[in-house]
Amino acid sequence: MNIFLHELKAYRKSTIIWTLSLVAMVVLFLSMFPSFSKDAEEFKKLLEGFPVELRKAIGLSVDSIATLIGFFSYAFLYLKLAGAIQAMNLGTSILSKETREKTADFLLTKPVTRTQVVTSKLLAALVSLVITNIVFITATFVMASIVEGNDFNKEALLLIVISLFFIQLMFMALGIIISVIFPRIKSVISVSLGTVFGFFMLGMISSTTEDEALRYLTPFNYFDSTYITQHSSYETSFIIAGVIFIIAAVSASYYFYAKKDVHSV
Amino acid sequence: MNVIEIKNLTKMYGKVRGIEDVSFNVEEGEIFGFIGPNGAGKSTTIRTLLSLIYPTSGRATIFGKDIITAAPEIKKDIGYLPSEVFYYDNMKVMDLLKYSASFYKKDCTKRIKELADIMELDLTKKIDDLSLGNKKKVGIVQGLLHEPKLIILDEPTSGLDPLMQQKFFDLLEIENKKGATILFSSHILSEVQRLCDRVAIIKDGRIVTVEKISTLKENTYKKFKVETNSVIDKNFFNIDGVNQLEQDGGSVSFLFRGNINSIMKKIAEIEIANLWVEEPDLEEIFMHYYEKEE
Repeated sequence: MNIFLHELKAYRKSTIIWTLSLVAMVVLFLSMFPSFSKDAEEFKKLLEGFPVELRKAIGLSVDSIATLIGFFSYAFLYLKLAGAIQAMNLGTSILSKETREKTADFLLTKPVTRTQVVTSKLLAALVSLVITNIVFITATFVMASIVEGNDFNKEALLLIVISLFFIQLMFMALGIIISVIFPRIKSVISVSLGTVFGFFMLGMISSTTEDEALRYLTPFNYFDSTYITQHSSYETSFIIAGVIFIIAAVSASYYFYAKKDVHSV
Repeated sequence: MNVIEIKNLTKMYGKVRGIEDVSFNVEEGEIFGFIGPNGAGKSTTIRTLLSLIYPTSGRATIFGKDIITAAPEIKKDIGYLPSEVFYYDNMKVMDLLKYSASFYKKDCTKRIKELADIMELDLTKKIDDLSLGNKKKVGIVQGLLHEPKLIILDEPTSGLDPLMQQKFFDLLEIENKKGATILFSSHILSEVQRLCDRVAIIKDGRIVTVEKISTLKENTYKKFKVETNSVIDKNFFNIDGVNQLEQDGGSVSFLFRGNINSIMKKIAEIEIANLWVEEPDLEEIFMHYYEKEE
C-alpha cells in the first residue's frame, strides 16, 4: 500500500498534465465542430479532392465527417496518439526508474517481495490512467452536449472514448515488458515516443491497405469507429487479442522482474 | 547462534567471476569485518545476502531462514547501508525517512529524530540539495531507524568526515551493545581493526581466511630494532624465527616470529643502548593476503 501511494504521488504531476492536455485537445477539436458542420457540404467537396489513401490514413471518412461522431472519430486519432504516449511513458518508466535513479537498492532491501513491488506499481499506473480517462470522458461528453445539444449517438461516443483506455492499457503493458527486458533504458521518452510513433505509422499503413492481419499488430486500429457506430459494440476478436497481449506482457514482466539480478551502480 | 550462515556460495556473472565457494558464519552479537581489495567480491556477497542478486550455486541463511525464499521476512530485521546512497531526489529528507519507515510495521518517528540529532541531519531539506556526506547521513538514519537486529554495511564510511565517522562508529557500538549483529565490509583496515571482533578476508572472489582480529595479530611477527654501544657480530641475532635481518653500524633491525623469550634472552646477552619492539599494524599483516600470487 505504501509503495502504491508513493508511486501515485510521484506520478501526480504527470497525470495532471496529461489529463489537462487531453482535455484541452478534446475541447479544442469539438469547439471547431459547430463552424465545421455549418459548412459541411463545402468541406466534404474539399475533402473529396484528397487522395483516398490519404483520407484513410488520417482517418477521414467523408460520409460521416459532418456528424459529431464522425468528426470526433477523426479527432480521436490524435487523442489516441497522445494517450498512447502517456501510457507508454508510464509503463516504461514505472519499474525502470528505480534502476535509472539508482533507488532499486533502497526499495528492494525493504521487507517486500518483488511481486508486491510490481503489483503496487502496476496499480498506481492503472489508477493514474483511470483518473485521466474519467476526466477525459467527462470533458468529452460535456463538450459534445455543448456543441451538439442532446442530439448525438451517446452509446457510440462512449464506446469510442472508452477505447482510449484499452489502447492505453496495451501501451502500458508494452512499456512495462520493454522496461523489464531492457533494464538499462537511458531515456524513457525516446523509447516510448519511438515505439508509439512506430505503431502509429503502422496504423496508418494498415488503414490504407485495409489489411485485417496488419490491424492486429497496432493497438491504434483495434477499435474501428465506423464498426462501433454501426454495431454499438467492439469487435470481439480484437478485444480478445488485446486482453491476451496485456495478460501475457504483464505476467512476463512479473516473471522477469522477480528473476533478475539488481546490479549495483 | 549464527545470524548469517553462508555455505559454498558462488555467483557468476555469465562467465565472469563474482564470488566462488564462499563460506563463513557471523555469530549473534558480533561485529564481523569483511575485508578485501576492490573487486574482490564483498559487494557481490552482500548483494546476494540481500537477494538483490541470486546465487549461481550454494546457499545462505540469515536468522536461520533461507535468503531467497524467506527474503521479505528476513529483511524486516535488516538494516542496510550501501557505499553509495541514492534516493528519490525530489523528496524531502523527512518524507523519504517516513517512506522508509512505512515498510516496517512500527512507529519510527521518535527514532528518526533521535538519529537525525546524533548525525546532525537537517530533515527539512530536499534530498537533491544534499551533499554527498549528508546523503550518507540519510542512509545511516534510513538503515537504523527500524532498530534492525542485523546491520549490513557495505563500505559505509566513504563521504563522511572524520568527526561524523566517529559518531557513526559510536552509534554502531551502541547498537551492537543493544544486541545488533553487524556485518561490516571495508577495504580500510584501520576501521575494521577498531570495530570488529572477527574478520573474513576475501580475495579474487574467494575467502582467504576467517580469523579473530586478536589471533591475526598474535600469530604474526614483531618488529625489533636494537641499538648497541659497540658493533656486534652480524650473525648474532640470526636465530630461528628471525627474518629480514639488517645491520647498520650499531643498529640492528629484524622481524621476529616465535617464542618471545628466546629473542629476549639473546638481547640480554649484549649491552644495548636502546630497544624498540613494535607490533606490525593490520595493514602489514594483510598485505600478503592482498598481494596477488605470482
